[in-house]
Amino acid sequence: MTTSSTAGPVSITLLSSLAEPSLHHTWLTAAHPTQPLVATCSSDKCVRVYSLKTSSHLSTINGGHKRSIRTCAWKPGLKGENVIATGSFDATVGIWRRWDNDLSLRRSDVKMSEEDFTGANGNGNTDEDDDDEWRFAIVLEGHESEVKSVSWSAGGNLLATCSRDKSVWIWEEMGDDDYETVAVLQEHEGDVKCVSWHPEELLLASSSYDDDIRLWREDVDDWGCVSILRGHESTVWAVEWEGVKSTAQGTSSTENPGIRLASCSDDQTIRIWRKIPKEKGPPQSKLSIIRSGSIEEEWVEDSQLPRAHVRSIYSIGWSKNTGRIVSTGGDGKIVVYIEDQGSWSVLAENDGAHGVSEINHVCWAHMGDNREVIVSTAEDGSVKVWAI
Amino acid sequence: MSAILSAEDLNDFISPGVACIKPVETLPLQDPQKQDNAYEVTTEEKVTEQSHPPAQISLTDCLACSGCVTSAEAVLVSLQSHAEVLNTLDAHPVIEPSRLLRQYVDGATQTTDEGVGDLDEDGRLFVASVSPQVRASIAATYNVSEVEAGYMIDHLLGARDGLASGGRYGNSFTWIVDTNAMREATLVLGADEVLNSLGQPLPPLSPTSTQNPLTSSPPKPPILTSACPGWICYAEKTHPHILPHLSRLKSPQALTGTLLKTVLSQRLHIRPEQIWHVAIMPCFDKKLEASREELTDIYWRPSSSASIPASTRSPVRDTDCVITARELLMLADTRGISFPSLPRTPLDLTQRPPFPDPVLSSFLFPPSPRSTRAQDPSAGTSGGYLSHILSTQLALHPNATLTTTRGRNADVTDYTIHAADGTSLFRAGRYYGFRNIQNLVRRLRPPKQGRSRMPGARVPVKSELGGKGMEYAYVEVMACPGGCTNGGGQIKGSDVREDVSAKEWLGRVDEAYFSLSEAESEGEEHEGGGRVDGQEHSLPQRSEKAPAPPTIRTILTHWSTSTGIPLEKLAYTSYRSVESDVGKEDRSGAQERVVEIAGRIGGGW
Repeated sequence: MTTSSTAGPVSITLLSSLAEPSLHHTWLTAAHPTQPLVATCSSDKCVRVYSLKTSSHLSTINGGHKRSIRTCAWKPGLKGENVIATGSFDATVGIWRRWDNDLSLRRSDVKMSEEDFTGANGNGNTDEDDDDEWRFAIVLEGHESEVKSVSWSAGGNLLATCSRDKSVWIWEEMGDDDYETVAVLQEHEGDVKCVSWHPEELLLASSSYDDDIRLWREDVDDWGCVSILRGHESTVWAVEWEGVKSTAQGTSSTENPGIRLASCSDDQTIRIWRKIPKEKGPPQSKLSIIRSGSIEEEWVEDSQLPRAHVRSIYSIGWSKNTGRIVSTGGDGKIVVYIEDQGSWSVLAENDGAHGVSEINHVCWAHMGDNREVIVSTAEDGSVKVWAI
Repeated sequence: MSAILSAEDLNDFISPGVACIKPVETLPLQDPQKQDNAYEVTTEEKVTEQSHPPAQISLTDCLACSGCVTSAEAVLVSLQSHAEVLNTLDAHPVIEPSRLLRQYVDGATQTTDEGVGDLDEDGRLFVASVSPQVRASIAATYNVSEVEAGYMIDHLLGARDGLASGGRYGNSFTWIVDTNAMREATLVLGADEVLNSLGQPLPPLSPTSTQNPLTSSPPKPPILTSACPGWICYAEKTHPHILPHLSRLKSPQALTGTLLKTVLSQRLHIRPEQIWHVAIMPCFDKKLEASREELTDIYWRPSSSASIPASTRSPVRDTDCVITARELLMLADTRGISFPSLPRTPLDLTQRPPFPDPVLSSFLFPPSPRSTRAQDPSAGTSGGYLSHILSTQLALHPNATLTTTRGRNADVTDYTIHAADGTSLFRAGRYYGFRNIQNLVRRLRPPKQGRSRMPGARVPVKSELGGKGMEYAYVEVMACPGGCTNGGGQIKGSDVREDVSAKEWLGRVDEAYFSLSEAESEGEEHEGGGRVDGQEHSLPQRSEKAPAPPTIRTILTHWSTSTGIPLEKLAYTSYRSVESDVGKEDRSGAQERVVEIAGRIGGGW
């Protein structure tokens, strides 16, 4: 609707900077699926977990990887324990566990001052120190080069990983820390930058240096590519699924007939892709019977977001609450877009959000009290929390 | 550090191996005079004027190097093509074996092993071997039987109206052998290897000897099939810990090559390099196998026999060239021959010179097409190693039953032999495809090594999966899902018909592959293995005698004694770990530099 890159009346305002930051560059911050926690991965081979409520450092994963930790993801659907998968330039993926202990709640409720958050707290339960630590559970080996992205399926039993070795791997947890390789997908022709599972379906998206996005599903007992989304003219840095609408909304809505995926690229565009539901008038129940042997799906480029970046766009986040998209990249800008009647416009933007530093990653996160914030992760190690 | 402040063109992709990193030993010497004038501007032309000696990097260097393994492999693969076959046929006059044989009988060449003199110095004896999976691919493509496909290939390679109809010399292949002949040898020796690793007594190699010489250092159980070159290359580069498990047996391709080169060079008194052996295979990686130094004459030639010092001769491959089923069609096409029009009848055998060893002649060229248990559906599509081992084990345990359990997908199967009282006697598995191989190698990883990958990590929750006992005695491992009929060099269904899915097509190729065993099973001289497609049953028709025909052992003994080469040297090979740096060892200097540079040119990581 608008091509204006000037910020509207809405602004992106800084809430806080997470402390203590890494002194090395940071790649990505992963938001906990339910709690006000984030995990930031850094080239100092550590992942730092912060509380969003207090903006302070709670715990650290370290000692496992030999090179920069490029990516991490919280396993969804857990209670009493947190699990993080880390992907590193050392070509391995680590799985880490830590008892929940309601630590974040306890601390956020108490709203203690900073010194409480770097070690054991004042209660002096040093014997249970180990319970407060991240325990290395297993290393997943198989990639032959830097791991670039990891993603848990909605159910949490499948983990997708991708690498500069041009492959996407799918691992299944067979039991406690017993992982099996269920697929090695080697169709990409370049470094695979990002993998992302659909929030509901067993549908995986991957994006690559080969400018393509591929979608994967399981067919009988192997995984296969069901669609290739072509259009970007350079590296596709990231892909992000639209949230699943509640069923009441979904059935009544005619605006979004198919599931959608957003992608951002070095070509400075953000594109929205939509699945064309299998044609034919009759209701969906019949379609499944008709469904032929082919697993191919038809996807189209639905729209492009207004151009707001002047350099590579590294990261996007698609809010599951508001449907807004946030983007960032090499130009150091954070931009928020809003959709109205199928048309996207820039809602707000913040130039130089981390000074002269590039911003490597951006995502939406929950503050807990129904408040959604933006978390940005910069090349210079800083992680900032923003409100809109 | 920031792209905002730095270069415009950002490109994070540093290809892992575009350039060869092997240091060239002899650096080109520069003319010192040209360096006198320090102020002289060097132009492009002057740079090219300097004539540098060409850098010498051998294929073995490439295979041993980690820098550009994939590009080295690409080179090796491209060096063996249908064009290479035609070029070689056109580059050398053919050696007529019948003439050599006559001279040999006359005793004229007794004194030399350098061939028959200058006339044939440049000559070549052309021999070919054909794998059954290639015949199945051709059969599915032209809707003929596997046997007929074999005849068509024979005509192309060996008949007057085949390749001999063109080219500089009108050359063709003197002998075309079926790799199933030597496959039977690999099956027998493979079962022996398993017996040996379990400490079970070995049958004597021949009726006259009580000892089987192949008892030295068997692989560590579980023994893993080593006939798949894709799997071997991957294991050597990525999983050195599994190398002690690999079967030391050569593949049928390699064993066929060794047989042809040893026997023909000795009987005809020609040098191994004067024999040119091309193998027709379902798989591109077989070209890599053919390039292995371990599969050259330096591993078997008797040190005393060569009149030229061994050190000055370069190794001669047992298999000089490998082409795939698709390339076979390109070969016909390039010579202007219509493959589908080739006769589907046997070659006129009176035209073929007798193979210069009567015992081996009847083995390599049986009167009717070889019927082999290896192509029974229960044996799978990859030669039937596991199936043969299972029937060997079943023969040892009367009243035992075989239980087959399908794994998490069609390419994983578990086999257990149970005694009548239910105790487990023998376990084996079949793992096809890269994803399943991952799970196998992970389980075979020693627990210590597994843990050390995360050295500074806090208390491991539990030890690695290696702790979970792997009781397999044998695992048949192949890199391709579906096995060798699905090899990368096979003719694709989409080449033939547009409306056929890859799965349907593979089904048709498999059907052709198994058709021989169905058509010929009546007259089979040895007992067939039972079908293992059910959930639980015992193999029927178990015989008292060993499942392998004793003739194979006799043949192997004959081969060894007549050539004077120990069977271990002829039939066994070895593997070596190829160091790969990425993600393995701390590449102190280079790796850090690359990271630093990449970090500097943009946040591309």
